[in-house]
Formats: sequence, structure tokens, C-alpha cells
Amino acid sequence: MMEGLKIKRVSKTLNGIRIVDDVTATFLPGRITALIGPNGAGKTTLFHLITGELKADSGEIVYKGDDISKLKPYIIARRGVGRLFQDVRVFDNLTVFDNVASACFDQEVESPWYPFVKCSHLKRKIREIKDVIYSYLNFVGLSDMDNIYAGALSYGQQKLLAIARLLAGGYSLLLLDEPTAGLNPVMIKKVLEILERIVEEDKGKTIILVEHNMSAVTEVADWVYFMNEGKIAFFGRTDHVLGDKEVREIYLGM
Amino acid sequence: MNYILHLLIMIGIYLVLSYGLNLVVGFGGLLSLCYAVFYGIGAYASTLLMVKVGISFIPAVLLGIVIAAIFAFLIGVPALRFRGDSFVLVTLGIQMIVFTILYNWVDLTRGPYGIPGIPRPVVAGYEITSLYEYLILVGVILLFSLSVLFILYNAPFGLALKALRDDEMAAEGLGKSPVHMFLYAFVISAVFASTAGSLYAAYVTYIDPTSFTLDESIFLLAILLVGGAGNRIGPFVGTVFMILLPEALRFLGLPDTVAPNVRQMIYGLTLIVLMFLRPQGLAGEYRVK
Ligand SMILES: Nc1ncnc2c1ncn2[C@@H]1O[C@H](COP(=O)(O)OP(=O)(O)OP(=O)(O)O)[C@@H](O)[C@H]1O
Ligand SMILES: [Mg+2]
Repeated sequence: MMEGLKIKRVSKTLNGIRIVDDVTATFLPGRITALIGPNGAGKTTLFHLITGELKADSGEIVYKGDDISKLKPYIIARRGVGRLFQDVRVFDNLTVFDNVASACFDQEVESPWYPFVKCSHLKRKIREIKDVIYSYLNFVGLSDMDNIYAGALSYGQQKLLAIARLLAGGYSLLLLDEPTAGLNPVMIKKVLEILERIVEEDKGKTIILVEHNMSAVTEVADWVYFMNEGKIAFFGRTDHVLGDKEVREIYLGM
Repeated sequence: MNYILHLLIMIGIYLVLSYGLNLVVGFGGLLSLCYAVFYGIGAYASTLLMVKVGISFIPAVLLGIVIAAIFAFLIGVPALRFRGDSFVLVTLGIQMIVFTILYNWVDLTRGPYGIPGIPRPVVAGYEITSLYEYLILVGVILLFSLSVLFILYNAPFGLALKALRDDEMAAEGLGKSPVHMFLYAFVISAVFASTAGSLYAAYVTYIDPTSFTLDESIFLLAILLVGGAGNRIGPFVGTVFMILLPEALRFLGLPDTVAPNVRQMIYGLTLIVLMFLRPQGLAGEYRVK
């Protein structure tokens, strides 16, 4: 049985404009699939539809066999769908440490009675996640800024923090909206490496990569969807799609 | 001396209120203008239970808490569909409705005549009468309230609320349910408002609806904005400042004919200057928007 994410004939109209137009796509686990296309193509909107921020007008979004298109965003997240936002969205008034910590507790631990009825569990849990949090902060090079408010970080640092927060959440489907934009070459390399490692180590994990950085796409994605004006225009192996005449004209300017 | 004891008792009651409200305003980032509703419900519920039903102080306080929590749930469910300015307006509307009910349901609340002669609290067979005894009672309840609230502030619960406050979309994307979390905060804060209301009624032994008006809700919100919301020190600083400043202004030696008005103006002016100098509050790190 094939799991992963299946988008079936999904459409969305906003202010009279069809932003996502009859999109059908499958994203298989155990690999990184890229989703590319010009500015305004509808890539971010498609992510909004998958995470439930927006509701599709028609069509189905099936993840691990269930239609998630009508669920609330927090339920979809609890089903394992995690997202890196194009506009980063760190928690400005929380410390760097707390930003990552906020991804580490489930709804039971976050209930108001948990610290009273499961006090010793909570203490142990907090000790355990501390190491996990620092390992992710180390990975993105922010561990000595653990006590700084996230709002005071640079854009690139915020992006790294959002990546650490997402990874700490342990999601099985990662929707990454331009993870390399704003990062320096060394960090881009590290982030791409960990993405590859994630799908290699756990064949149940699915990664969708929205990127305008074509060298990143060629490096980690074997398969690419090309989206234009709300539609999926092409799907194929990366070299094939990037070599296509129309893609080169519309998108790459060659 | 009695004057100082009285001020300490009032500060204690307002600390229970402001630390409770902090959960909604500071952690949840929701500017509620109906907190005095739950303060009033606590005061009226425990008073009526003591006066009309004849049960004793502690059970009356506890039942008052249950009643206030039920009201907070019923009010919170519709109100928490809104955010930002709309939430402020909705809670303002709720405050006005509940005040009107307290004022006009004369059969139950005696409306504007108020309820005089509220019995003094009897705790474990011991009647509390002197100011010292009241101070101890308020102090014990304050300590208990703070120990519960500080655990919540520090728990993953508090962290999740702050995450939702800073960016609801991102926090929901991490699996946090805004509706559930905000509703928990709203109901829990009402529990402490109700406790404070019962204490207040038992202390002054007379209540009427004018203690639980929109003005009171604004005052409670101002405590947090002045002191700083979302941490453990802000509500303390705000409460002490807001209660002691008007008292301090009494000692200015102003001529009697203009004194009250001038005091009000200085009070208002101080708040304005403060917001210019420290928009996040005296001891705050987070600026309520
Ligand atoms: N809420 C909205 N109401 C109306 N139009 C919208 C709304 N949100 C997005 N759009 C429009 O939808 C189109 C697609 O936007 P989207 O953000 O999905 O593009 P994108 O492919 O992510 O582009 P980019 O590469 O620049 O990030 C844009 O033309 C945008 O103006
Ligand atoms: Mg986009």
C-alpha cells in the first residue's frame, strides 16, 4: 500500500481568482519531492490547503489514507503534518530555547491539569527534552543564543530557528516553503543534508520542498512538480522538468 | 495602622485578581474587558449562598468558583471566536450585559440597594473579625493562588498559551488548539476572580453592582498594562502601583475643593506618561497589542 500525501483535483478560489486550479499530485514517502513555479503560482496556497489554514472548494487531500481536507489545522498537525512557513513565523516574545520547546509537548502534557496530576512525569519529560532541544539548536548553530528572544534574531537566524522547531516536532510530512532562502551557503548545505538524512533514515517520512533555489532542488529532489497559474503544468524527474523548454521559458528565463 | 492593614488587604485581593487575569491577557494576549464579571459573580454567588442558603464561608467560596467557572465557559465559547479588537468589543458587551442584570434583577441581587450585613467568614469554627485576621486569610489564599498559578505559568500549558499569543497560525501548526487553550485560560482566570470576589464581599460585608462595572474591568486591565503582562513580577508591580498611587496623591495637601479632581488628573496623566516611557509596562518584557 502506498501512503504519503495524495492531492486529488483540489481547487481554491479567492476573491474570484482561481489560485489553485484542479491540482492532482502524489507525494511519496521516503523521498524529497520539489514543488517549483513562478511567484504567485499558488505553491504557498497549496500548502495552506494541505495544513487546513484554507479549505479547498473541491477535491480531496488524503494523508496516510484519510481525507484531511476538512479537518482543523491543529488536528492535521497532530496527524503528523508539519510546516516551515515562507514568512518564518517564530514566536517573537519567546526565547530561542522556548521556541523549540513549544514543539516538543503533546496536548496531554499541555493540558492545565497535567503539572498537578503528573508532576513527576513532567519533571522527567522536561529533563529529557532539554537535551533534544539543545541538539537541534546545536545543529542550526543557535545553542549559545538559547536565552535571546526570537524577535531579536536576524531573518536568517529566525529561519534556522523555525527549522529547528519543525525538526523537533518529529513530523512525518514536512512542507518546506523556501527553507534555503536567506541562509548562507554553509547552512544551506547543512539543511539539505539533514533533509536527505530524514528521508533516508525513515522511509515513512515525506518531504515537499518549495524552492526557487534550483541548485538545492537538483541536489536533493529526484522528482519535481512544476506549478504555473494554479495548475500543475509538469511532473517528472528533476533533470527532465528543468530541461523542459516551456519550464525554461516561463520560469528559468532561459 | 488600620489604614495600612486595609491597603495590604486590598492589595492582596487585587493580586489574586491580576495574577489570574495575567493568564488571559499576558499569556493568551487577549485583552478582556469583562474580568470584573467573574469578580462580581464570585462576590454575589458566595454572598447569596451564605445569606439566603445559610452555608458557611469556605463551601460558599468553592461553590462560587464552580458557578463562575460555568459562566466563564458559557461566555468564553462565543467570545473566543473573536480576536484582537473584536474580542475587546465582545467582552465589553458582556460586561455591560452582566452589570445590567446585577443591577436590575432586584429579587435576586437587591440591585442598586446592594446586600448589606454579609456575615463575617468563619473558617474552621473561628470567626474572622479583626483586620489582622483578614490579612492572614487573604495572605493564605493569595499564597495558595500564586502557587497554583506559577505552576501553570511555568508548565507546557503556559508555554503553549504564549506560543498561541505570539503567532496563532504557527502554534496551531504545531498542534495546539487555540479554542481549547484559550478557553482553559479564560475559565481558570475566572476561578481566581471569583475567589477574590468572595474575599472582597466577606471583607467589606457589603456589595452592590457598582463594584463590578466596566470601570473595574478597565482598572484590572490597566494593572497589567502598567505592571507588565506575561511574567511573574508584572502583576505585582502593577497592583502595588495602581493601588498605592491614588493613596499617595492624597498626601499632596491639595485644597479640599479641588483635591479629588486634581488627583484623578494626576493619576490619568501618570498612566499616559508611563505608556510613553515604558509601553511594555514597568516590569514587562512583552508588549500587549
Ligand atoms: N487571501 C488571498 N486573497 C486573494 N488572493 C490571494 C490570497 N492569498 C494569495 N492570493 C494570491 O494567490 C496567488 C498565489 O499566491 P501564493 O502565495 O500561493 O504563490 P506562491 O507560488 O507561493 O508564490 P511565491 O513563489 O512568490 O511565494 C497570488 O497571486 C496571490 O496574490
Ligand atoms: Mg510562496
